[in-house]
Amino acid sequence: MKNKQKFSLGRLLQGNIVPIMFIVICIICFPMSGYSPAYLLNELVTRMGRNTFLVLSLLIPVMAGLGMNFAMTLGAMAGEIGLILVSDWQIWGIPGIILAMILSIPISILFGIFCGNLLNKAKGREMITSYIIAFFMNGVYQLIVLFMMGPIIPILHDTLKLPRGYGIRNTVSLLNMRQHLDNLLAINVAGIKIPVLTFLIIGVLCLVIVWFRRTKLGQDMRAVAQDMEVARNAGINVDRTRIIAIVMSTVLAGFGMIIYLQNLGNFPTYSAHTQIGTFSIAALLVGGASVEKASISNAFLGVFLFHLMFIMAPAAGTAVTGDSMIGEYFRTFVSYGVITVALIMYEAQKRRTRSATGHLLALAQQEEEARAK
Amino acid sequence: MGKTLENQSTLRGFIDRFGMPRLIIAAFVVLLFVMAPIVGADLTMQIGNVINRFSWNAVLVLAMVPMIQSGCSLNFGIPLGILSGLLGGTLSIQLGFTGVASFFVAILLATPFAVLVGGGYGWLLNKIKGGEMMIATYVGLASIAFMCMMWLLLPYTSPTMVWGLSGKGLRTTISLDGFYDKALANFLAIPIDPEDGLYFPTGSILFFAVLALGIWAFFRTKTGTAMTAVGSNPQFARAAGINVNRMRLLSVIMSTWLGAVGILVYQQGFGFMQLYMAPNNMTLPTVSAILIGGAAVNKASIPNVIIGTVLFQSIVTLTPTVVTAMIHMDISEVVRMIVSNGMILYALTRVMKGEGSR
Amino acid sequence: MKKRNVMFLCLLALILVGIGAIMMVIGRGHTVYFDNKSLDYEGKTYESPYKIEIYQGGNADGESVAKLYDGERGSATQIGQKITVTLVITQEKGGDEAEPAVYTIDLPYSMDGPVINLPAYLAGLPEEAYLSEFVPVASEEPEEETSDDDLGLGDDMMLGDF
Repeated sequence: MKNKQKFSLGRLLQGNIVPIMFIVICIICFPMSGYSPAYLLNELVTRMGRNTFLVLSLLIPVMAGLGMNFAMTLGAMAGEIGLILVSDWQIWGIPGIILAMILSIPISILFGIFCGNLLNKAKGREMITSYIIAFFMNGVYQLIVLFMMGPIIPILHDTLKLPRGYGIRNTVSLLNMRQHLDNLLAINVAGIKIPVLTFLIIGVLCLVIVWFRRTKLGQDMRAVAQDMEVARNAGINVDRTRIIAIVMSTVLAGFGMIIYLQNLGNFPTYSAHTQIGTFSIAALLVGGASVEKASISNAFLGVFLFHLMFIMAPAAGTAVTGDSMIGEYFRTFVSYGVITVALIMYEAQKRRTRSATGHLLALAQQEEEARAK
Repeated sequence: MGKTLENQSTLRGFIDRFGMPRLIIAAFVVLLFVMAPIVGADLTMQIGNVINRFSWNAVLVLAMVPMIQSGCSLNFGIPLGILSGLLGGTLSIQLGFTGVASFFVAILLATPFAVLVGGGYGWLLNKIKGGEMMIATYVGLASIAFMCMMWLLLPYTSPTMVWGLSGKGLRTTISLDGFYDKALANFLAIPIDPEDGLYFPTGSILFFAVLALGIWAFFRTKTGTAMTAVGSNPQFARAAGINVNRMRLLSVIMSTWLGAVGILVYQQGFGFMQLYMAPNNMTLPTVSAILIGGAAVNKASIPNVIIGTVLFQSIVTLTPTVVTAMIHMDISEVVRMIVSNGMILYALTRVMKGEGSR
Repeated sequence: MKKRNVMFLCLLALILVGIGAIMMVIGRGHTVYFDNKSLDYEGKTYESPYKIEIYQGGNADGESVAKLYDGERGSATQIGQKITVTLVITQEKGGDEAEPAVYTIDLPYSMDGPVINLPAYLAGLPEEAYLSEFVPVASEEPEEETSDDDLGLGDDMMLGDF
């Protein structure tokens, strides 16, 4: 009881060390980058619309105790496959985006089930396993897109195929659906374009997540995250619950990727998804989330701060060192650094809790022994 | 009847012990070797290439052993060792050393970095027991990105290494011609196919053999057996009065130093030094090589290193020629990706011994 | 309970397939090419006018998608199986512009790039006369190596535009 007051402020600082670090970085970078607030705000709004859905797709696995789902890349791949097919069938605009999402669902579910099963075999090592699954499935994705599209999966248009007759070109153009989602219902406020529809979709997802937490399945997931053994004794099918969490995350990541790519207007076929996991996770962690606990507000704050840094770092780097690459490397370093710090804090915390429990147990034992005497 | 049953169970036991994926990979490699002459590839040259690639990579794979043995899991943090090696190599060239001397100076200069970095890294890993692999991965990635900035900012001046125009900032690829290119490989090299420039790299193989023997001998000393004990059963080791953290720290330093030496050996074979993001490309292949060789997440030996490197490099060397000739599609890249990452996945999804006690 | 869940899932899948099918119909995009060229059909020549201004949609406001002089080709993009255009035709050089006229042209689903010969269409000829398909020539961009790093696990650690 007595040390409760002592660590309130210290604990607040410690618990939010990453966001605080980031705010400091952003404050330092801002004058050096020389960007006007209006420009920054415009960029930020675009990027928030583009990335928030992807980051939100990470929340459910965290809730189910699976940690950061590095395998959200699988969903991104499914989304890309959907987009490739849609652009081959020449379905444009909003209908194209919706169709791509529908096409991505079965692929995402399949990938998600595969991933979930593997993660169930690697309990306690979920994150590193999902990290490797992302690499492994990148190979499978290349097998499908680079070799099977053409001979096995029919591709109608030669403009999409490599000159050798099979496989997809290095860039897929989405010109005919570029920003269609963002531009519908978009409003202009003081020169800043706000993609209202995209934000509406993100809002709906937030509501769904809030609702889902209260459902039976959502409660089950939280129980599984608390203690798998206890959950199993309570009659929850632990493995199945975990698989569902991963499948949901994968499907949402697929949607997120499609929203993200329709904003960009084209994508590099073989590398668009490689870094999406790392950056989304970094963004979520920057927002103050941890491996065990992540909320919607973490996601929003994270995307905001992370992208503020992302926009300013290259310019700030150029201003300080005269080399634009420094800033690029700096932001890469910061993304990885943030994840590293968050992971270390999580593991250290886990160890502290464990030794604290051990300590309590030992104390209880001593007491009992003393009483026995 | 009883005999066949027994045979079956021994076969089963064999498969279980060896692991299905490993068998498949071994069978695949054998198939590749059989198919190579059939599709018209020059077998001597292929084998020569495998041997050469083995000599480049073996030391890097060896760097996995100490950490695995002490229970620090797969060394996804090998970029730290590689970066130390790169620092040693660049400094050696910067200080004006050339030829074979530059190689050994590079090792010498890399050593303090490796010990220092490895020490810090080991200290960190002791703080976060149980979560080593994920954190090692990201410590590696973050340090690679950090060093990317350093390569641009550090005051190197040697004209062979910096960008010609601006005169500062290291190049992405530095030719080692005149420095330690083939420093080891040329020692007592035996020609295989001199017209194609194919030699048996006796020096490199010998160098690896010496290091491997050193590690083998080390694990037979008192410290070495203590380290193995820490890896296989930490509770028991602690009860036996072994300082677990000290053993782990030592193993991490050893691994990091071997990683530094490993990348220098790789470079002397390859002939180029690759900076910036390149170290990242070494991690997963190295990890999967030792797993293909039969290592588990907490147990590895020298034969694992040798078998694993040979198998992995055979796949790397042979698939492009053989598979492309067979199906007229160059799927070697994809095969490599699926095989190496699949192997790591397999190892991660196995139940670890003594895990229940955690 | 279990049975109801399965039913529900099947229904959901069916609805999604349905939406997908609808999207495939309403979302089909076409690049429509308009030709202002003379055309010979069944022995008769349909002369092209001096100038046609094409506006997409049901009126001649806003910016025209193409202003076609004799012998020229213009293009517009359209999502769906119909395109509505408003044409302003000038028959002779220096002549007066005619009143804008609205036309709705059916586009076949299977064609990516239908070409519509306007003189033939305006003369009320059948579809086979005024409609043809534009076949683009695949541009030969040099094949880039997808990856040339030594160990094959991708070297793109950075994503330029995240």
